[in-house]
Amino acid sequence: MTKENMFSIAALFIAAAVLSAPCAVFGQSATTADPTAAGKAVFKRANCFGCHKWHGNGGGGYGGDALSLRKTELTREQIMETVSCGRPGTGMPFFTRGAYDTVKCHGMNRQEVGNEMPQEAGTFLRPNDIEAVADYVIANLKGKGEPNFVECTAFFGDTSRVCDVYKTQAQPPANSDAAAGKTQ
Amino acid sequence: MTELVRKRFLMRASMLATVFAAVGIAGAQPARAADEVTQERLLNADKEPGNWLLHHKNFSGTRFSTLKEINGDTVKNLKVAWTMQLSGVEGGGIWTHGGLEGTPIVENGFMYVTDGWGSVYKIDTHGGKGLLLWKMDPKTDHDWAGAVACCGVDNRGVGLYNDLVISHTLDGRLIVTDKETGQVKWQRQVADPDKGEVVTGAPLIVRNMAITGVAGAEYGIRGWVAATDLTTQKEVWRTYTIPAKDEPGHETWKDANNAAAAGGGSTWVTGTYDPATDTIIWGVGNPGPDWDNQYRPGDNLYTDSSLALDANTGKIKWHYQHTPNDPYDYDSVAENVLADVPTPNGGTQKLALEADRNGFAYAIDRTTGKFLWGLPFVKKVTWTKGLDPESGKPVEYDANNPVQHYNAAVTPSRENKVTDICPGNMGGKNWPPTAYNPDLKLWYIPVIESCNRITVDVADPAKLKAREFWTGGGPSQPFKITGSVTAIDVTTGKVAGKAEMPFPMLGGMLATPDLVFTGLPSGEVMALDAKTLEKKWEFNTGGGVSAPPMSFSVDGKQYIAILVGQGGAWDKWFIESTPELKRMQPGSMLYVFAL
Repeated sequence: MTKENMFSIAALFIAAAVLSAPCAVFGQSATTADPTAAGKAVFKRANCFGCHKWHGNGGGGYGGDALSLRKTELTREQIMETVSCGRPGTGMPFFTRGAYDTVKCHGMNRQEVGNEMPQEAGTFLRPNDIEAVADYVIANLKGKGEPNFVECTAFFGDTSRVCDVYKTQAQPPANSDAAAGKTQ
Repeated sequence: MTELVRKRFLMRASMLATVFAAVGIAGAQPARAADEVTQERLLNADKEPGNWLLHHKNFSGTRFSTLKEINGDTVKNLKVAWTMQLSGVEGGGIWTHGGLEGTPIVENGFMYVTDGWGSVYKIDTHGGKGLLLWKMDPKTDHDWAGAVACCGVDNRGVGLYNDLVISHTLDGRLIVTDKETGQVKWQRQVADPDKGEVVTGAPLIVRNMAITGVAGAEYGIRGWVAATDLTTQKEVWRTYTIPAKDEPGHETWKDANNAAAAGGGSTWVTGTYDPATDTIIWGVGNPGPDWDNQYRPGDNLYTDSSLALDANTGKIKWHYQHTPNDPYDYDSVAENVLADVPTPNGGTQKLALEADRNGFAYAIDRTTGKFLWGLPFVKKVTWTKGLDPESGKPVEYDANNPVQHYNAAVTPSRENKVTDICPGNMGGKNWPPTAYNPDLKLWYIPVIESCNRITVDVADPAKLKAREFWTGGGPSQPFKITGSVTAIDVTTGKVAGKAEMPFPMLGGMLATPDLVFTGLPSGEVMALDAKTLEKKWEFNTGGGVSAPPMSFSVDGKQYIAILVGQGGAWDKWFIESTPELKRMQPGSMLYVFAL
């Protein structure tokens, strides 16, 4: 094989890689070697970030006070149980089909938990999904400090401006026209 | 299908969508001079009874249609004429789905509606059917905006100016679209989601200006109303709803935390306009942090106020504040309806009518900003014993006390961290618009009959971060919430009738000469008798109604139109108060009814 041929074959590979890049948004896990990618997918699909936010810090607001997964002291097993069974008396729903009915949760059935019965989540998760999301929380959120740009783009990718606030917090807003508006 | 085939299919679909968006699917009608929407036409919007040219129908905000083919006698024959499936139901940020809260605009048989993500649809309604002429998709940044939209993926509609369609996006843009082609002519970033600002309201068009309000009082914004010149594309004025250090009103922020800088005061409901005095009247939302008022001692102007702004300069002419130093999240963002009411001595009262989240309806003299009368329009108010008949302030209000406790037994505070309040923090009355029948002098309020529980979380300035909740607590829903349509006779300032509803009113009102129309989050659209509020007609759309009905005529025939697609925050934050509504599914559909 001549040097020229090698180059054109390499170019073909690069072209193929570039062409396939826009498709990555349809299957992000395929393009990354992140071992917690499956757990991240569950974190998104099960809408964990709807209350705990992408960064896991949760926080007060209209929906009550989702606990911080960064500051959590729960173990992997406790996280799995919390996801499976929810937290009685709080807004944390249960994600296991049959929780409190066919499966006892926190040692209780539906009758025993009574008025404290957690809500049913919008999505049920299989045991391997629950393991994956617990692994994701342990690896990417638990014990981490303030959320940053790299973590944010790892979660969202780079097609949205959602992470810019972590990059540009120290800079003036992009909209200088608006910033120059009169105050009253 | 295989992964590769699926990807190809998706790419092809998205290419087709692009072509569709750029070209439109049918030849649009050529523009005619009569289609130019001028200030003259907007000022006389009610002289075009078949059209609905402004968000609230006219500058006065009456949402009163004089069309009467559909009336008390004929309404029993009202049925679906046509429907159209729209899109924008997908989620983004913290939201699992978008919804529909918009009011359709109709001009000469052409309808303009928006979905929650800000796509604008132009629909030809001639010939008894709906035909989509174009769709403008602004490609809103879902995660950027959806992560800081406190209360859903919503957009309440467009404005018309000359041959342009003016709209907003949740990610803070003003979009100017060619009415004929659907092509975006220009756009401008008005709000900044990096600061927690988003835009959900429809623009108000006054002369050559588009007026924009902002949402984000749960995220530590400093609210504003801004005017963009539609000819120069530049900002004309921006009036902050929280005064700067050298401005009057700043003394009502007495804390050492610089609370004013993140003091809330959002403006996310479209205001009204009084041409006689060239005054824009606009409602202002809650202070932040919502439930920890000890963090921000003082009256916290101009939060929870109605503001009168000089249309030319944006300068504040007067203000009227409803809930000083609010510890309840009782926004006053609601529209002010401008009504002229004869007095017994032959004069005319020029009223601004506002139905507040705090459960009271207010009539303010809109020339002076002085309180005239107020009354509770909800069945249960616990936070105050009532309004002072002179000032309209809650009777417990103490100007010498920087932190207000009102009825201290139920008021959330650092000493009383878990309390039950009535009305609950959604109101009273939320954004869904009222309607006013100027013949009957009856004003119809879509009411949330509610109590809920507030838990205070002492605000820590170290936790004040861009794009993070800044609420000082949160609500929970141990009580069942219902609703009503409540009519107020504005000549007497008394409740004239109340039609109880099984669910909170999350859509809003339309008035016609002898009927009122509204919808329920459980799917029903209905007509009530304008005087007795007796139900005259009902149709179940099967989807949660979170938008107000409107009426128009084309080819000489009257129609009622309403967007149906569960929007807002109810299903995320408040559903436990209405467990039956858990069965409602997201959707995105336009319904049009005729005889």
